Amino acid sequence: MKRLLVLVLVLAMAAFIFGEKVTIIANAIKGGKNTQVVDWFEKYIPEIEKELGIDIELIQTGIKDEDFKARIVLDIKGGGGADILWIDGFWVPEFVEAGYLRPIDDILAEIPAWKYYYDSMKAMGSYKGKTYLIPASTDVRMIYYNKELFKKAGIPIPWQPRSWEDIIKTARIIKEKLPGVIPIQLNAGTEMGEATTMQGFFMVLLGAGGNLYDWETGKWIIKSSALRDTLNFYKRIYVDEKLGDAALQVSAGAREKTFELFRQEKIAMYVEGTWFYTSVLNPNNPSWGFPDRDERIGWAAMPGRGKPGDPEFVSISGGTGFAVNINCKNPKLVAEVLKRLLYIEPQLSYFEMKPFVSPRSDLADSCWTVNKDKFIAETSRALVKYTTFRPAFPVYPEISFQAQLLTERVVTGQMSVDKAIEEFAKEVTRIVGKENVIEKP
Amino acid sequence: MRKSLMGKKVVVLLLIPALALIFIFLILPGLWVLKIGMTNETLTGAKARNPDFVGFENYAKVLSDRFFYNALRVTLLFVLGSAIVGQAGLGLSLALLTYRKRKLRSFVQSVVILAWIIPEVVVAYLWIAFLDKDYGTLNMLLSVLGLRKVNWFYEYPLPTIITFNIWRGTAYSMLLFSAALETIPPSYLETADVIGVSAWRKFKDIIFPNIKSYTLTDLILITLWTFNVFTPYLLTGGGPSFRTELLSIYIYRTAFRYFKLGYGASIATIALLINFALAMFYLSLSRRKKA
Repeated sequence: MKRLLVLVLVLAMAAFIFGEKVTIIANAIKGGKNTQVVDWFEKYIPEIEKELGIDIELIQTGIKDEDFKARIVLDIKGGGGADILWIDGFWVPEFVEAGYLRPIDDILAEIPAWKYYYDSMKAMGSYKGKTYLIPASTDVRMIYYNKELFKKAGIPIPWQPRSWEDIIKTARIIKEKLPGVIPIQLNAGTEMGEATTMQGFFMVLLGAGGNLYDWETGKWIIKSSALRDTLNFYKRIYVDEKLGDAALQVSAGAREKTFELFRQEKIAMYVEGTWFYTSVLNPNNPSWGFPDRDERIGWAAMPGRGKPGDPEFVSISGGTGFAVNINCKNPKLVAEVLKRLLYIEPQLSYFEMKPFVSPRSDLADSCWTVNKDKFIAETSRALVKYTTFRPAFPVYPEISFQAQLLTERVVTGQMSVDKAIEEFAKEVTRIVGKENVIEKP
Repeated sequence: MRKSLMGKKVVVLLLIPALALIFIFLILPGLWVLKIGMTNETLTGAKARNPDFVGFENYAKVLSDRFFYNALRVTLLFVLGSAIVGQAGLGLSLALLTYRKRKLRSFVQSVVILAWIIPEVVVAYLWIAFLDKDYGTLNMLLSVLGLRKVNWFYEYPLPTIITFNIWRGTAYSMLLFSAALETIPPSYLETADVIGVSAWRKFKDIIFPNIKSYTLTDLILITLWTFNVFTPYLLTGGGPSFRTELLSIYIYRTAFRYFKLGYGASIATIALLINFALAMFYLSLSRRKKA
């Protein structure tokens, strides 16, 4: 017993003297959400540990994005948290305003790969003239469809809708031919959080030539015909024609439930991002993956509304990346770790495990040619030219919540479209002030 | 005047540790919540670093906040349904049904206590497994009987969590009422039996007057517990569309999902005042009884 105690003490002291440690937190867990991320870290961390003679700890979570955000915020506010934070790019402005992130321009000077990052990607990670985030990957959004279900319903493949009307027509056929299958999943409601804003609301609104934010005047748009048409499209799908399941949108754990239903082939069309295909449906995802994903699941570009002057196709992009905690004690060490994680070899391996649109020019070519990831190559070529970004200001999450509420009130039939827009306009005005809102024809 | 066992000084000395703990863990955080509730502090954004003092602005906002009224309405219905009518009513009924039936009572008590002692997270999962729309045990039974499957959490969200909470918390009331019934001298009821009094008369004239003060204790405790309970969040997340959003869940959503710490604290303060008012109301009832 005594001997054991001495041993423990010696070890503890040794760890105290020699044990330098870097911690990384990511919203990933082995066998669950983003399992590929954990696999990738497990592949490269030991090498880097050996090379630097330090201890690197990966904190796994694998929870709802909103809960993950709360956890990180509370960690940092309490004076702790991991050194390297793998977070969503649109959190950067509000985190910086709160003083949670360390500017990393000095760290980037140590990282040779930084020069290869596209300017639009560098912009995603910077705020008020400083850089805070190294983008890990970016994405595009589209409509996924289950080819088997389409065949059963007699819909010709490959399928590419040219207008909202085309989507509705297809959904009607599925409803008629395949009872028990939900024709379309277009995210709605607050339960799905940001997934509603990005994969649902924005994808429709952009197609009507609308936006949440007017880049010309720098004001938030509270009323427009595009917004009204967007909500009417939601209403047609969920209320008038019952082509989607409104109850599902607002039930607890809605997003995971829809993944589950898509896996069981009970949803025919699903508007989602790159992540859905490369991580959720990935053959190596034990929860929701399809072993024959590439043959079974097709994708189509999301069309615009279909009126003259509307965009032909739409997409919106987000992305995640590495940020550094303000409480980080050892930025030099963090720089060394990040530098090694961003070497070309681990990066290629990452994009092989979890194919994504690359934020770097030196990877883009090798990703498409070396890895032959057909899906990424095709979707990037087809959609990057249409894609746009969120208005990521510190106030954006509040406006985003109001947009989610808009869709929720309409799809559940709690409010008419006009009443819901009225409420939205009132709330957004209250949040940003009268001088920062605008009405569009 | 009975002479107390110890001097006043000794009593005060012995109370100091307890009072100190109450002060540190109850009064101080309470004051902190009051203070935060008068600021616009958030968890992210500029106001996380430099919050402003806004006085009673948050309170004015709460009073015009449709989510607050929704949460208040849901909470009051939840307390009325699951605590006052449900737990107290069912607890008293079970206690009366098993009164003077020793074997039956110990059996019923063990079953009811089981629902009470299982950890909350486990219970929540059991109920989700029981009520799930597609795979739930209840809907399986219904479809075997040839009835329609019901999406309980969507069609009847509030009755669902009320039922859940009755199931969960009846044990306490039953135990309390069983113990209270034990305090009635058996001779009262034996005499009544000899005379041949109806059951209702027995309850009205003998049992109820004897357990009145216990009833009040029970009501105070379960009302306050139920008012502040958070477990339904595990079942419904406050949904669908906020139809089961209790005040506690609304406070949580405001502070920890939308990061409005100051605003959340002001709602919490209002909840505290409502709790206080309820407690005062019950206490006044007990005083009136004594007078």
